[in-house]
Amino acid sequence: MTIKEPLLSIRNLEVEFTTERGIVRAIDDVSFDVYPGETLGLVGESGCGKSVTSLAVLGLIPSPPGHITKGSIVLDGRELVGLPESEYRRIRGSEASMIFQEPMTALNPVFTVANQMTDVLIRHQKMTRKQARNHAIDMLALVGIPSPERRIDEYPHQMSGGMRQRVMIAMAISCSPKLLLADEPTTALDVTTQAQVMEQIVKLQDQLGTAVVLVTHDLAVVAETCNRAVVMYAGTIAEEAPIEDLFDHPRHPYTEGLMKSIPRIREQKLVELPTIPGTVPDLLTLPPGCRFADRCYKVVEECRLAEPQLLHDASRAVACYRPN
Amino acid sequence: MAELLEVKHLKKYFPIKGGVFRHVVGHLKAVDDVSLSIMKGRTFGLVGESGCGKSTLGRAILRLHEPTSGQVMLDGKNITTLSEKELVTSRRDMQIIFQDPYASLSPRRTILQTLLEPLETHGIGTPASRRARVEELLDIVSLRKNILHRYPHEFSGGQRQRIGIARALTLEPKFIVADEAVSALDVSVQSQVLNLLAELQRNMGISFLFISHDLAVVQHISDDVGVMYLGRLVETASAMDLYRSPKHPYTRALLSAIPVPDPKTKIKRIILEGDVPSPLNPPSGCPFRTRCSEAMDKCAESTPELADVSDGGSAHHVACHLY
Repeated sequence: MTIKEPLLSIRNLEVEFTTERGIVRAIDDVSFDVYPGETLGLVGESGCGKSVTSLAVLGLIPSPPGHITKGSIVLDGRELVGLPESEYRRIRGSEASMIFQEPMTALNPVFTVANQMTDVLIRHQKMTRKQARNHAIDMLALVGIPSPERRIDEYPHQMSGGMRQRVMIAMAISCSPKLLLADEPTTALDVTTQAQVMEQIVKLQDQLGTAVVLVTHDLAVVAETCNRAVVMYAGTIAEEAPIEDLFDHPRHPYTEGLMKSIPRIREQKLVELPTIPGTVPDLLTLPPGCRFADRCYKVVEECRLAEPQLLHDASRAVACYRPN
Repeated sequence: MAELLEVKHLKKYFPIKGGVFRHVVGHLKAVDDVSLSIMKGRTFGLVGESGCGKSTLGRAILRLHEPTSGQVMLDGKNITTLSEKELVTSRRDMQIIFQDPYASLSPRRTILQTLLEPLETHGIGTPASRRARVEELLDIVSLRKNILHRYPHEFSGGQRQRIGIARALTLEPKFIVADEAVSALDVSVQSQVLNLLAELQRNMGISFLFISHDLAVVQHISDDVGVMYLGRLVETASAMDLYRSPKHPYTRALLSAIPVPDPKTKIKRIILEGDVPSPLNPPSGCPFRTRCSEAMDKCAESTPELADVSDGGSAHHVACHLY
């Protein structure tokens, strides 16, 4: 494999939110790269900062209360942190776009699909209304919507959850972005629909070569679709690795625990499921050392003194004093 | 082993009103002729996609929805014919745990108030003995006693679900419906709560109806499993049998759709075409035939009934014309 320039490069990102109880650092010193055409899984449990990271890329962190306090986000050679909103608007949709968990809240209920899809195309791609409509129909066909020329004139509420998510994907890819951020795109869907939608995302990526960042709590979906994964815990990166290495040999005890506790279909039933004891720490009252120390079976004194750094080797990285 | 719960031909139809005079113009058959039984101290897992009627079935069994017809026997007592007053007493024996404990716990009540309420409503014990019972319950679900005067918002999702479980256990029920009880929890916490439920069952002999869309969770927790589609049970079997040799084409598609947490395994997936048909206007004959790759002429003509297909082992029923 030749060494490629990263498409997206996040360095030392820090995002803080002002709350009633004090300032919460939701993202603390996060750095990773996304290469052209790859699918990167951004995995973790609720509150780990995975969604905030993806929102930060597109300048979508609600402000106030949140803001980027440190770090840099470079997309295709261009620094995004500090860009004015007008510049961000030009990037969103055309260079990088996003799909959300709940398409019903992301789609506008009072406009037809045609209205919402052509709007972006006319604005970003300088198409005529007619061209935009034809392109939108092509996109709907591409994501597997039957009779797109008819369904394009429907309103979001006339569609099922799976259909709406496909419309979201069609909208997201309609300006051929280089980067697609998908935040829990299938979490609200049933398994059979999830399978349809994930298959569609993988197929599109093959055809269009878009880089995808899949933000999810579901390690199984990551195993099936991603080349690499970044595992986050309480606002920091615990581990980063190519997907097969990660599942073969999770180095961080948190990744290991997470993998063991995934419910999976088994040949023989277990009496007890493996678990990670305890709960995620409160970001306002973090312990001084490793954030995972209180739940870790390998904890030693060192872990509680200072936070471990994310150390890289050839292909992977881990933030742990006693990695597997 | 004795049967604790027996559901016979249970139906729950919701009337659909239309027109100027709000006449009943049709029925939504949310639960259509479902029969199942659960042994004492065992768990029956109910799986299916959203809108298949699994939650309505759970509620109809507890008479939180009044069933349209059919019979529910709990420990020999016919629940469906009880008067309102008798039902209140019988509720001690049957409880429910919801998906979102945040929505089902009153935000204005302390944990102590929430847990005392069922005891007070049923007039059980003295104030001192009630308090002792509440403390015992916290111990059972592994929560510390110092949380008693706190409010639901002060807890994490996993802790709130433990409180929801403690509340369901207050009156020592024989039967609990767990409706997506672990679906909103993160995996590491989800497995903690699943282990807790299994332990409670071992210690107290409670029977569970475990409703979930997550097939892997259902396999782990259940002794028997039923698959629902458009208000009907299409397959029932022991948990091991169902996952090892699924018979119904819908069950097979459902199982093949589960993502496998292993990047080296590439499974052959049966991708179902289209969406679940509207329950307002279900297909004639077999409800699954519009999406079934094996559909025959016969499937449009008559609705297949559950038939025993077990080959000597434990009971395995499937409602499909292929068998």
